[in-house]
Amino acid sequence: MQRFCRAPRRGKKPATSAQGTRRGYASRVKVLAPFFILLLGLIATTYLDPPLPPADLVIIERSDCFTLDPQRMSYQHEIRRGETIYEGLVALNPKDCSIKPGVADRWTTSADGSTWTFYLRPNAKWSNGDAVTTRDFLYAWRRAMLPDTAADYSGFFFEIDGAEAFFQWRAKVLAAFAAKNSLSPTTMEDAQALWAETEQRFHDTVGVRAIDDATLEIRLRRPLPYFLDLCAFAPFSPVHRASVEQWTHLDARTGRMEQSHGWTKPPHLITNGPYVPTVWRYKRDMRLEKNAHYWDSERVAAKSVEVRVIENPNTQVLAYGAGGVDWLTDVGPEYKIEMLGQRRVYESRHQEALNAVRSSGRELDDGVRTLPPPTEGERRDIRALHAYGTDFFSFNCRPNTPSGAPNPFAQVGVRRAFAMAADKQALIDRVTRLGERVATTLVPPGSIQGYPLVEGLPFDTKEARAELARAGWVDRDNDGFVDDASGKRFPTVDLLYSTASPRYQNLALALRDMWRRELGVPVEVRGKDAKLYKEDVKKGNFSIARGGWYGDYGDPSTFLELQRSTDGNNDRGYKNPEFDAMLDAAQSEPDPARRLERLAECERFLFAQEVPLLPICSYVTVYMYDPSRLRGIREHPRLEQHFDELTRINGAGPEAPQ
Amino acid sequence: MTRMLVSRLIQLPFIVLAVYTVTFTLAWMVPGNPLENPEGRRPSPEIVAAMQAQYHLDDPIAFYGEYLAKASGAAWLMGTSPHPFDLGPSLRQPDWTVNEIIETGAPVSMRLGITAMLIALTIGIFAGVVGGMRPGGVADVGTQLLSIAGISLPSFVIGSAFLVLFSVKFKLFPIGGVSGVESLFLPALTLSLPFAAYISRLVRFGMIEQMRSDHARTARAKGLSQRQVALHHALKNAFLPVLSYLGPATAVAMTGSFVVEKVFAVPGIGQHFVEAVLAKDITLVMGVVLVYSTLLVLFNLAVDVMYRWVDPRIA
Repeated sequence: MQRFCRAPRRGKKPATSAQGTRRGYASRVKVLAPFFILLLGLIATTYLDPPLPPADLVIIERSDCFTLDPQRMSYQHEIRRGETIYEGLVALNPKDCSIKPGVADRWTTSADGSTWTFYLRPNAKWSNGDAVTTRDFLYAWRRAMLPDTAADYSGFFFEIDGAEAFFQWRAKVLAAFAAKNSLSPTTMEDAQALWAETEQRFHDTVGVRAIDDATLEIRLRRPLPYFLDLCAFAPFSPVHRASVEQWTHLDARTGRMEQSHGWTKPPHLITNGPYVPTVWRYKRDMRLEKNAHYWDSERVAAKSVEVRVIENPNTQVLAYGAGGVDWLTDVGPEYKIEMLGQRRVYESRHQEALNAVRSSGRELDDGVRTLPPPTEGERRDIRALHAYGTDFFSFNCRPNTPSGAPNPFAQVGVRRAFAMAADKQALIDRVTRLGERVATTLVPPGSIQGYPLVEGLPFDTKEARAELARAGWVDRDNDGFVDDASGKRFPTVDLLYSTASPRYQNLALALRDMWRRELGVPVEVRGKDAKLYKEDVKKGNFSIARGGWYGDYGDPSTFLELQRSTDGNNDRGYKNPEFDAMLDAAQSEPDPARRLERLAECERFLFAQEVPLLPICSYVTVYMYDPSRLRGIREHPRLEQHFDELTRINGAGPEAPQ
Repeated sequence: MTRMLVSRLIQLPFIVLAVYTVTFTLAWMVPGNPLENPEGRRPSPEIVAAMQAQYHLDDPIAFYGEYLAKASGAAWLMGTSPHPFDLGPSLRQPDWTVNEIIETGAPVSMRLGITAMLIALTIGIFAGVVGGMRPGGVADVGTQLLSIAGISLPSFVIGSAFLVLFSVKFKLFPIGGVSGVESLFLPALTLSLPFAAYISRLVRFGMIEQMRSDHARTARAKGLSQRQVALHHALKNAFLPVLSYLGPATAVAMTGSFVVEKVFAVPGIGQHFVEAVLAKDITLVMGVVLVYSTLLVLFNLAVDVMYRWVDPRIA
């Protein structure tokens, strides 16, 4: 009865029944149910992963930090982050890489330069308010000297008296402990006894001593003029002992001091630098907030910094282009070459104004900032900066090739000929195209204060051919290839490169053609993926192989030690006792200025005479940032960009000249 | 209903166990040492040996058992592990546990997948109904063409085009990172297109069939408009195939968004998973597979429950 009485809810036709409406209503609910369920899911996942408020500074990096444990840091971007959140005894001034006070406000050295005493400032604080004491430094440095920690830069600590012996001893007793465990199970008491012995040995034999909570004495095994530079290096930072210790435990099976890495992540992480990480999400982002307890926090410009990780090179550039990003730290895609071309167009239009800025001693950005914005086909938000590294090709200097045949590159003359026949400027102009500087030596020019400019071999094809002829390689049968005295052709040069980047392949192909053309030698290129390439290089399975090196600290020895006969990174197999002796003599020179001169002599010997490797160019690092939006990027080749010096200029746009 | 639920929940651990076993076998057959990183830092041989012993990398059977015990929570129940569902440390990222990686990545991937499914449902149903009401009409041909494009164009092409157009050119949406809804819209839209296209085809065919059916004719006969017949009578039945498609599709959208995550730099779990497979990071691979296979089974169960509710004939 009712069904005929009730008025239809909607619709033009009066015949719609109430039941039909209800059924229609129910069916709509059922169709809409998946929407509601999905919406609920959306709300739940948003709740699980709430968005963060916008930061004062947004930086995009290509890869995430592997660790925030300063002693275990290894990569360049990691070290930079380390120097942002921790502070060592001293710090580097990003503008010129001079030393400025850090946790220590003053320090003294003994007359012979081998004992250093640091006085910690009373207001140096951890982010939880605790005072930074010498015990934190002792604890952190001891971690770096323990094989248990597996720190990449342990070797840097071996400059401290007794550190190397301590490391070796601990490695030996741990091996013995493990061997004992395999015979009969060891107990926690055994591990504790060994640990007590280790602590005692560290105290007795290693040259680091806390005189009191604020005075640290360090005894080096030899005078080290660049020791302060090491003290500014992130792996020499202190860690908050009380909190880290809670995450370590002894392993009864191995006797090792193991740590779980939870302390390196917020909210557990306690730091003593300008910033403290408050959020760190794996390969996603890191949020840094100003450390209120930092002694110099007034100087820190941005209150919060967001570091986003974008691995895809193309997306990085698009993300920068979409706005809201202040600095892209390493521009990946190949088309950056074209983008840099647009920058050159812009700069050349304002050549005069920029020259005036340069000659007045100011940094380029100060000038660019005051210029009118770029027009169509120009840009000013990309920049290639000279870096603290050199791109090179290694000669295999071993007396024999892997097959046992005599190796022509063991002859100095052959290496010199190959080096002089390479037209590096052409390689830069036509192959790499990033505006690099030609390098004839390994230490990038202008990167170390007081280090003289060293000239290596020039580009000279005539002299190159003459040099090759003097080494006994002449084209005797006029077939276009050089032969030795018995008429045997120059063995085919095996030019090895890694396929990790097209740059390496292009360089190898260009060099192959230069050497074939100028010297008449057969050259074959061989590309291998990164892993196999590395294996071949380490095994010496190449004639000439691509290489490169970035300096770790502000002293020429970070480059020159590579050529030492015993160095672990001497991939060339270059063994020359004369050079080793020269290097030793230079290293032990007490007068710092004289020492740098003697190191320059070592470099001259290497690159004007011996050429164990062929330097191509100094590396550049390509940044994207707009100088009218971001202030504080430094030009010094070590590219020590400290986040606390970066400022976003508000109301971005051309600024009035100051 | 209850019986179905109980029996399916009992089946769940066995299905996941089977998936775990298969993945484990496959992961173990891949050559290469997971502790070796060709791209740089390589731990010293002693450390590799110690880690191998610690994780039982030298003994697959022991690894299989111990990992299963820890991941399933059995070890926690027995008191030998401090955490329930401990998926272990990542072999390649020693500072991170697999649990941490999944906890940061999974909510993002899920949000992306869910948003994509919402968009796909909206577009798909709308296009399907419009097309299915007048087969062969202009609207039908248009939506059909679009849906073919949506299915056949790969997401990296559409995604890149969206990026250049909406983010770089018009600066409507940010790229990279996940902040608000706006940062997920473009990737979700890209991800949704193939699903939307498929749903629209399902709905369209369902609508055509339903509009020709007897009960639609009856409805029309009692004077309902074409629109009312479509929305009140036909859509309900035409929607059923969408519902059964929705469970696996949502799971695929949440787990299979690797390409979209890569193009838009969305920090989800997809790219970690692919990298983990390439780097042979066994613990991370196993962890993600375990979590996702559990989710997949649960989604299918949820869909079955809904199915019964929408169409009581299935019981």
